[in-house]
Amino acid sequence: MSLVDWIAGFPELQRTAIVDAAETASLAKVRRALRLLDELPKEKRGRALSVELLSTFNLEPFLPVLQLALNCIPSRADLRLAPLNDLEGYITQNTGADQSDVRVIIWRIEEVLPEMLYPFSNGFPEQLSRRTEEVINRVQRLVKLHEANAAVTPLFVSTIALPVHFSNPLFASQHAIALCGAVAHINRTIYDIATQRSGVYVFDICRWAALEGKLHADALLDFVARQPLSGRGQLAFAFFLARCLRPLLMPARKVLAVDLDDTLWGGVVGEDGLENLKLGHDFPGNVHLRIQRELLELRNRGILLVLLSKNNEADARQPFDCLPDMLLKWEDFALRKVNWRPKHENLREAAQELGLGLDSFVFVDDSDYEREQMRQLIPEVLILNTSSDPLHTLNCLWTTDAFDSLTITEEDRRRHDDYRVRTARDVQAHGNDLEDFLRSLQMEVAIEELGPANMERAVAMIGKTNQFNLTTRRHSRAQVQAMLAAPGSIGLALRLRDRFGDQGIVAILLATPGAQDCTLVVDSFLVSCRALGRGVEDALWTALMERASQAGVRKVLAQYLATPKNAIVAKLYDRFGLQPIEQGPSSTRYILEPVEPRPRPAWIHIKKKDNANQ
Amino acid sequence: MQTSDSLVQLLVEFFDLPADTRPEEIAQPAIPKWDSLAMVQLITELQGRFGVEFDLEEIQTLRSYREIHDTLVRKGVFAHA
Repeated sequence: MSLVDWIAGFPELQRTAIVDAAETASLAKVRRALRLLDELPKEKRGRALSVELLSTFNLEPFLPVLQLALNCIPSRADLRLAPLNDLEGYITQNTGADQSDVRVIIWRIEEVLPEMLYPFSNGFPEQLSRRTEEVINRVQRLVKLHEANAAVTPLFVSTIALPVHFSNPLFASQHAIALCGAVAHINRTIYDIATQRSGVYVFDICRWAALEGKLHADALLDFVARQPLSGRGQLAFAFFLARCLRPLLMPARKVLAVDLDDTLWGGVVGEDGLENLKLGHDFPGNVHLRIQRELLELRNRGILLVLLSKNNEADARQPFDCLPDMLLKWEDFALRKVNWRPKHENLREAAQELGLGLDSFVFVDDSDYEREQMRQLIPEVLILNTSSDPLHTLNCLWTTDAFDSLTITEEDRRRHDDYRVRTARDVQAHGNDLEDFLRSLQMEVAIEELGPANMERAVAMIGKTNQFNLTTRRHSRAQVQAMLAAPGSIGLALRLRDRFGDQGIVAILLATPGAQDCTLVVDSFLVSCRALGRGVEDALWTALMERASQAGVRKVLAQYLATPKNAIVAKLYDRFGLQPIEQGPSSTRYILEPVEPRPRPAWIHIKKKDNANQ
Repeated sequence: MQTSDSLVQLLVEFFDLPADTRPEEIAQPAIPKWDSLAMVQLITELQGRFGVEFDLEEIQTLRSYREIHDTLVRKGVFAHA
C-alpha cells in the first residue's frame, strides 16, 4: 500500500507527523499525529466511518494505532471496541438504531480452539474433529446472528491465522485434524460464507500473518495483556485493516495508462529494432512478460488500459503483430495514443474520450522525465512507479492498492468491451444526425426497483459516479437500505440493452418522502458515464414521475449540488420543467407541482415487467 | 550508544508531561495516567524504541524513570552512570 498517496490531501504538517509515526511505530508519535489531525476542519479529513471491532484478543493497547490507520484512508473513523472476546453477546445486544457503518470480527485459534495447540492432551483425533466442527458451526451461527440483528451493516470476518507459538510443528501438518488442517478447514468455511452472502467480506488475517506474522509477534505482550503484536506489528496490522476497509469509502482507480518501450518489453523498438527487444521466458524478457500478464489481468477484471507512447504508430504496432511472445494485443487497450505530443496532453484527451475524471488514472512510465512532468501537470493522476527498473514496476503492480475493490461484478468484467463498443459507436455516429444514431442503437431499458439483486451495483455507482450526479451523496449500503425502508420512498435502477449487448445497470434514482404529506424529495440521481448523452436520464425520470403520481404524490422537491465535476447536469432539472425556488452559489433547489409524467425519448423502448427482486 | 536524555524525552512525550519535568519526578504513583494499560503500551514503546526485549522479572521493575533507566543500563542500552 502507499500511505503517502492515501494522505496526499492532508497539509504537510499532518503528513510529516503521520509518516514519522509510521516509521517509528511509536505510540507517542501516533498520538501526536492524531492530535494534529483533530485540528483539521472536518471536510479535510474524509468521510465519517463508524467501525465496530469485535475481537477475541485485546486490541485496546493499540487502539490509537488503529485510529490513525483508519484516519489515513482518509476517514473520520469512530472506533467502537466490543468487550473482549464477547462476540455473540455483543452482536445480540447491539441492534436497532445506532448501527455502525461496518463491523469487524477478529479471532484467533488461541481463544477459539485452544485445544488444537495440544492435540494429544485433547483427544486427537475424534474429539478434536468434533471440536473443529463446533467452531465451524459457531462461525456460521455468528454470521446469521449478525444478519438477524444488523443486516444492513457490512460484516468483515477474519480468517484464523496459524499461531506463531506452538510446539510439534512438523506433526501439525501431517493430519487433516491436526492444527494446520483444522485452521484451513475453518478458513475455508469463512471464504465460503463470503462467496455466498453479499455484505459479508473476509478480513484475511491468515494471509497477512503468512507474510508478516512471526516477524511481528511478541510472546511477552501476549502473556501480559493478551495482545500478541509488537509495536511494529500493531502498525502493520492496523494499516492492513485500513486497506481492507478502504474500498468502502474510496472508489478504485479505473484506468492504467502505460508506455511501451522498456515497460512492455526491454529496449526501444524504434531504435533497437524488433529483433533486439527483450520479451519472453528468459531473463530479463520474463520480467516484461510478467508485467504484461499483470496488465492483461487488470484489463480482464475491468480496469481500462490506455497506451501512451512517443513513437511512430507503425513502429509501436510492429511488436504486437510480429513478436511471438507478446501477450497483450493491440485491441486490449481501450485507447491508444501513439504520437510525439506530450503525454499529459494525450492523457487529458483520453480522459475526455472515455468520459472519466483525471483522478481515475494511474500512470506507469520508465522515464523519470515523463513521470515528473505528469506529476507536476496533472497532480490528480497517481504515478505508480518511482524508478525505471522493470522489476520495481512489477513490484508496484503487485502491491498497489489503487485498484482495490471488495467485489468484482459482471459489469466490471465486461467494461473493456463496453468502452470498445462505445468507441466504435462514436465512429459510426460521425456525420449522422444524432437522433438517427440513437435510434440505430435499438436501446431498450428496463426499470427495476432497488433491491438485493441490484444493490451492490447501485451502491458502487453511488460511491463513484462524479459527472452525471445531481447531489453526489456517497451513501453506504446501510444508508440506502435505511432510506428504502421508509414508507413511500422510491428507489429505481435502469438497466440498458442496445444492439451491442447488455450494458447492465447505468442509472440510479433515489427519492424519499418529504416532511409534508404527498411530497417526494429526490435524494440522488445519477447516470454512469458509459451511458451519457443517450436519453436514459429522461426515461428514468419519466418512470419516477409515473410511480409518484400513482402513489398520489402532488409535489416533487429536487436539488442540484455543484461539485468540480458535475457541471454537465447543472441545468437538468430546468430542462425537465422543474421551477427553481432557491438559488445559492453551489446549490439550486427545485420544485415540481403538480406532478406530470413527461414523454420519454422516442428512441428508447421500455421493457415491461422486469423486476430485479422477482 | 543512546543517552539517558532520550529516555526522559520518551517518557515526557509518552505521558504528555510538562517539558521541564525532572527525571526523578517520573514515577508511577505520581502519574495518574500510568495505569496497567499504559504499562503495556509503555513496554511496547520501550522495546520498539531501544530495540530490546524484556524478561518477566524486568517488566516488574519499570515503574519509574530510575527503574527503567537502570534496567536499560543492565541491558547495555545506556552506559553506566
